[in-house]
Formats: sequence, structure tokens, C-alpha cells
Amino acid sequence: MSADASTSVNYLNHDRSIKSWLLTLDHKRIGILYLVVISLVFLGAGILALFIRLEQIAPGQDIMGPDAYNQIFTIHGVLMVFAFIIPAIPAILGNFVLPMQLGAKDVAFPRLNLLSFYLYVGGALIVLSALLVGRIDGGWTFYAPYSIRVGDSILFVTMGVFVMGFSSILTGVNFIVTIHKMRAPGLTWNRLPLFVWSLYSTAIVQVLATPVIGITVLLLFLERLLGIGIFDPALGGDPVLFQHFFWFYSHPAVYVMILPAFGIISELIGTFSRHRIFGYRFVALSSIAIAFLGALVWGHHLFVAGQSALASTVFSLLTFLIGIPTGVKVVNWVVTMHQGSIQLRTPMLYALMFLILFSIGGFTGIMLGVLPIDIHLHDTYFIVAHFHYVMVGGNVIAALGGLHYWWPKITGKIFNETLGRIAAGLIFVGFNLTFFPQFITGSRGMPRRYYDYPVEFESLNQLSTYGSWVLAAGMFLIAGYLLHSLFKGKKASANPWGSLTLEWTHTNRLPIPHNFERTPIVTRGAYDFHLAKDLFKDEPSGNGVDSHQVPDLEQEGRPEA
Amino acid sequence: MAHAEHHITPKKTLIQVFVALITLTAITVFAAQMDLGPLNVPIALSIAIVKASLVVVIFMALKHDNRMNAVVFLVGAVFVVVFLVLTLFDTAYRGDLPNTVEGTIMEEQAEQDALRARDPGPTPVPPSQ
Amino acid sequence: MAEASTVTADRPKHLHPHFVSSEQQFDAAKMGMWLFLVTEILLFSGLFVAYTVFRIWYPEVFSHSAELLDWRLGGLNTIVLLASSLTVAMGVHYAQTNERKKLVRALILTICFAAVFMIVKYFEYTGKFAHGVFPGVNFDPHGTAGGHDYAAYNIPFAAQFFSIYFVMTGVHGLHVLIGIGLFSWIVIRANKGHFSSEYYTPVEITGLYWHLVDIIWIFLFPLLYLI
Repeated sequence: MSADASTSVNYLNHDRSIKSWLLTLDHKRIGILYLVVISLVFLGAGILALFIRLEQIAPGQDIMGPDAYNQIFTIHGVLMVFAFIIPAIPAILGNFVLPMQLGAKDVAFPRLNLLSFYLYVGGALIVLSALLVGRIDGGWTFYAPYSIRVGDSILFVTMGVFVMGFSSILTGVNFIVTIHKMRAPGLTWNRLPLFVWSLYSTAIVQVLATPVIGITVLLLFLERLLGIGIFDPALGGDPVLFQHFFWFYSHPAVYVMILPAFGIISELIGTFSRHRIFGYRFVALSSIAIAFLGALVWGHHLFVAGQSALASTVFSLLTFLIGIPTGVKVVNWVVTMHQGSIQLRTPMLYALMFLILFSIGGFTGIMLGVLPIDIHLHDTYFIVAHFHYVMVGGNVIAALGGLHYWWPKITGKIFNETLGRIAAGLIFVGFNLTFFPQFITGSRGMPRRYYDYPVEFESLNQLSTYGSWVLAAGMFLIAGYLLHSLFKGKKASANPWGSLTLEWTHTNRLPIPHNFERTPIVTRGAYDFHLAKDLFKDEPSGNGVDSHQVPDLEQEGRPEA
Repeated sequence: MAHAEHHITPKKTLIQVFVALITLTAITVFAAQMDLGPLNVPIALSIAIVKASLVVVIFMALKHDNRMNAVVFLVGAVFVVVFLVLTLFDTAYRGDLPNTVEGTIMEEQAEQDALRARDPGPTPVPPSQ
Repeated sequence: MAEASTVTADRPKHLHPHFVSSEQQFDAAKMGMWLFLVTEILLFSGLFVAYTVFRIWYPEVFSHSAELLDWRLGGLNTIVLLASSLTVAMGVHYAQTNERKKLVRALILTICFAAVFMIVKYFEYTGKFAHGVFPGVNFDPHGTAGGHDYAAYNIPFAAQFFSIYFVMTGVHGLHVLIGIGLFSWIVIRANKGHFSSEYYTPVEITGLYWHLVDIIWIFLFPLLYLI
């Protein structure tokens, strides 16, 4: 590895023109393009969430009427689900990291990868253009028959979702082929980093489930255009069938959101516990198991929709099965930490937060899978709290952990560790303050999706709104110090965390355009930290001086020349 | 170069398969002309599955292809079955629980009172103050 | 990218710089295509599920309505598509054996068969439209043709059958049209001599796509026309 990477060619400086960015086939640059766009979406949809909470600060009308409220939570939901959470980890971090973790020069189909990015942008723009056409207020699920009756803006929303789905499919196909065909010599399945395993299982879900949302949207179009009578009850159609179609995609999509998060957590826990992942194979295969089991449970969204009792019972039983592979993962992570020596760096803080928050989200999910309990809690704030614990407490927290972890590789810079820890604390406190009260209001019967609520829920809702401000403060702090590090941050070393996966051990501080000077040959597993002392003994950067310590960034980094 | 490993399906095999496909098409049409009652659908579907398998195995050369591609294809087929079967668990059994219950709450109460009068059981503990 | 440094003398022209060998590139493309085919299967699966759900609800309506579809035209189209599948498989064979002229001929035949399929479909559609058999709310069968009194088919949920029929065959026909476009491009490239036993990936994977279109029809034909 070149000790002085600042003057050498890397993926950022080899061509600085705008065109070289917009037409790039380099998976790392495409990842950064995604990072920019998806962050903007997150900012926008997050601000909408703040408005939602602000309206809920007191009963009655505070800052907006019911109509505006309906539109805002709908746009918040559509953008967050389809344009943020689903692509966030695979498209940003997956694109950036996957080929490097495999020791490959790029993904299998780089042009498809770029196409996928532009489809995503196009889809997001089509969704946003709906705002110009008219109101969208049906919630992110656009159930029939309401979506058949309302104005044409719903066409743009569903069309945008369709196009983004296509982007998701292409990414999935690309990743599966890349993982199968592009691994470096010696990188057997048992040596793959767990992030790769999780992206693999994510891609399986993307490929298998996403086409169904395509045909669902097409049928919805035709229902509006021609009245084909498949979903419209007025014409003899069955609106519950729409829900089956919708959730056959959208429930597995939940695993598209959470599986890559599992992968990041495995990376973080392995690296910062300085220990091989306990039960590696079980953690790896449980991702695949979740991908498949996740396709069998969509009907638990239809418990009160009028589906047959038989179907409800079957779906309820199948839902419990998901708890097994998920539990396997959590237990193995905890044992890994127990056996290792934990270094509480900023990314690891997110991993710990994830364990707590995701466990709450997961357990309440099992609760909701129980038929009679779900009938009580359906469409209450309990559901809202549950899926925010999974989606934010799971996906967003893991994405933040991953972003901090790979930030030095993406930018070559180190962020401020102290601010990082403060922000992590703010986010943990703010998140729980925002969403935990909603478990209580929900179980006491406060329904979701109303701008108003009875006075008895006021104090808990106020707490929740205050929490949203703390959460937002944490997010803005992160954005602030990460952007600051771009310009003023200290230079990172090539492997600042002392990780053992290829993107850290075999690339420069900033990777070259095709990642590796020469194709790496792999002779060990991704988490063989017991070998770390030998592996790093010739490192001039001194990363492996003590294999039981994560190198100290503040001493390690040098000010930007 | 490794292309030598690619299997080349002989022309004769391709034509044989084509003839088989045409024959099966004739059989399925013929079977449909005769009304076989409940067997109509299974027969038509079985023949379609055999025809599709011939196309997949020989024309698409899955027989000599990387096994992983066969796995990919089968997983896709399995998911179609899952989609179909689990949806049918609902639609084919729709309304298996009635929305309403026979009788009124007062009748239920009367029945409970009658049962209690018949079998009073142990004296209930009075609620604590 | 520093192309000079990555392209060495022994790398064939078709090999992209991020692949190690032609074999890797071929296998990747092929697996990508199989995955894409799976997404196509699941796209159609929604229509098959809708068909099954409504068929189980209204079996008599569906088998009665199916009588209006002419199995002879459907059967003809089945044979035409099967023949086109054969010519595609032959085309791959000729590409593998470096018989360029025969490859081009096989692919042109495929396009011709596909065109015949679409022409037959056109007459089927217009024949139905002429008697008011439209998808959806415009369903209003009237008149007589081929020994059928169309008005007798105006029963509840017959509209659903024909909606599903038009959507299924419509989406399938769209795939046939895309196939014609793809093969036209392949024929041009084949004629220029782009393909050989060393490199015929586009022929192979477009062929796979075409066979899938055939398979979908193998199921559509009995479900819609026969039972």
C-alpha cells in the first residue's frame, strides 16, 4: 500500500469533470451519487416528519388542517419507504463497499448500475411531480378502492414507485451476479463478509418481490383507465386482493430495509469487538432464511381487512417463524461481544443502539403477529411506534453506523469522534422520546393518521414532539460534522479501524478507480481477528501493533496538507 | 479459452423436442375437446408444465448449464406457487367466519345465568376493599 | 480510467475491463439474464393469481366465456411461437458452430414467426372489439360471429374474464414486440459478424428471453382458450 496516498491517483481525483461524475460507471462514484440524492430525500421527508409531530403537539388544529396533515404524512411515508429506506443501505453503502469486499474491480454490470441510479432519480422525480398535479393523501399504501377514485396525482405516485422498483430490481440482479461471479480467488462463501451475505439475501428479495408491485401498479392503472374490475368492488372486483398484491411486495420490502442493516451490524460488532463473529454460518444463513420466510407472512397486514380466518391463522403462525432467524442473529451478536473486547467508537455506539431499538421493534412485531392482539392494536399508534423502531431504530441507525464506519474510506477523512458520540447520544434519546410514548398512546387506543386526538393523550404526544426535535438536532449535528470533516477533517489512514475485510486491508486510503492494484488473493475469513497481529505486523501505519485495540484516530490522523 | 466447455445441443435433439412440443399441443387441444369434468384443468396444466419443462431443459439448455441458474429458475417458480397458494388461503375460504353471531347479548347472559344457577361452584372471593 | 494500462494484448475486444476472463463475463451475463427471467415470471405471476382467484370464484362464467375465444387461432399461435423457439435454439447452435449465414437466417425466421404471432393476435383483438368485447366497463358483447351469439355472453363477471384475457395477452404481446426489436438488433450485429463461438452472449441471452415468452404462452393458451 502506498504510504503517501495524497498525490497518487484515486477514484475521486482521476477525473474531476462533472460529466465524469454524471456518466460514471465506477461503483464507488455511483454510491456517492446515491448518497447525495438519498440524503436530500431524507432531509425533505424528515422535515415533513417534524411538521407531523408539530401538528400533534396539542389536540385540535395547531399548524395545519386535516387535509394538509393527510397529505404530509402520505408524502412522508411514500418518500421514506420507497425513496429512502429501501435504497439507502444497498444503493449507497452496498454499491460503494460490495465490489471491494469481494476483491472485484466493479459490479458485474456497471452500466446497469448507472441506469439503476437514473431510474431511481427519475422515479423520485415522478413521485414529487405528483405534488404539482394535485393532492396525495391516501397513505403510502395507496389501497384500492380509494386509489381508484381519487385524482390523477395517485398515478404519478404509483408510476414513480414502479420506476423506483425497477431500479431496485436492477440493483438486486447486479448484486447477486456480482457476488456469485466476481469474488476474488480464495474468497469462498464461508469467508465472505457478513455485509455481503446480507446484501445477497436483500437482493434475493428485491428480485423476487419487486416485480409484483410492478404488475399491481399496472392493474391499478388499468382499473382507473378501463375499469377492469379486478380490484374495484363497484365493478365486482376485490379490494382485498389488491392488499394481497401490495403486501406480497411490500412486506418482503421490509426485509429489503432491515437485512442490509443486519449486515452492517455484523461488520461493526466484529470489528469493534476484535473478535470473529460467533456462529458465523448461522448469522450468514439466517439472512437467507429471513429472506425466504419474509415472503410467507404478508397476510398479517390483512388481519382486519376481511380475509378468511384460515388465512389469518396461517399467516399469524408463519409470522412467528421470522422470530427464529432474527433471534439467532441477535444472540450471536451478543455472544460475539461477550467473547471479544469491545471498543466503544462512534460506529459501535450505533451497533449497540441497534441491538436495543431493533429488539424492541422486533418483539413488538411478534406481538402484532398474534391475531387477537393485532385486532386490538391495528391502525393505532402502537403500529406506528413498532415500525419506526424497526425502520428507524433498525435501518436508519444501522445506516448511520455504516456511514460513520465507511466514511474514512469514502472520503479519506476522519470525523470528529467527540461530536460523533454526542450526536449518537442525542439520536438515542431523541428517538426513544419520540416513539416510545406512541406505544403507550397506541395501546390506549389512539388511532394513527389523524391530525387531532383526545385531550387525554396530550402529555405523551408533547413528549413525542419534543423527542422529534432532539432527534432532528442529532441528525443535523451529524450532517454538520461529516460535512465539516470533508474540508477540515484529518486524513484517515487506509485502515483506521483495523478491520480485516478487503476494502480496508487491500486498498489505498482512497481507493484507485478499479479498487485494487492487483486482484487480492484471500486466505482467511473476514473476521479472523486472532490472526490480526500477524496480518498487520509489516504495516507501516502501525495498525496492527496491538491487534486488540482499534487504532486511535486522533493520534493517527494528520492535518490535511 | 473455456468456451469449449459450452454444451452445443445437436440439431437433431432440438427438432425432436419441437416435434414433442407440437404433439403435446395437439394432445392438450384434443383433451379439451372431450369434456373430462374435474380432470380438465389438471390435464391441461400438467401438459403445459411438461411443455414448459421441455423448453427450459433443452431449448434453454438448463440441463447442461451451471446448476445455479437452475436453482434461480426453480426459486422463481416456488415463489409463484407461494404467492398463489397463500392468496388462495384467503380468497378460496373468504367468509369462513361469519361477521355476526346468532342471538343477542341478553340471551348469552341468560344462558350464563342458567349455567351458574345449575352449577354455582365455590363461593367467589369478595373483591378486596 | 487509464484504459491503456488495463487492456493487454491478449484480451479480446468484447471483454470488459472489470472481468478477468471471457468465461466470467459470459457466466455473469447469463446468470443476470436468468435472474431477470425470474422477475418476468413474478411479474406475470400477479396476473396468474388474479386469474386463479376469479376462476375459483366464478368457474362456470370463466369456462363459458372461454368459448368465445377461438382455440384454432390460439393453437396456431402456439405452433408459431414453438417454431420460433426452435429457430432461436437453432440460432444459438449456429452461433456456437460459427455458421454465420445460418445464424442470420434462423434469427430472421424467428422475427417472421413473431410477426405472424402478432398479426394473428391483431385479428383476434379486432374480431373481439368488433363485437363489443372490450376489457373493463366497456364490455358490451353484441352481434353473432362464428356461431356464437355474443349477447348471450353478457353475464356478470364475464367482463373480468375478458379483462384478464386482454391484460395477460396484452402484456405478453408487448414482450413479443420487445423480442422482435431485440432480435432485429441481434440480426444486424450477427450479419456484421460480431458473433462467433468465442462470443455469442447477446444471442444466447436474448434467446433465453424469447424462450420465456414462449413458456408464458404455453400456459396462457390452455388457461384462456381451452379450459
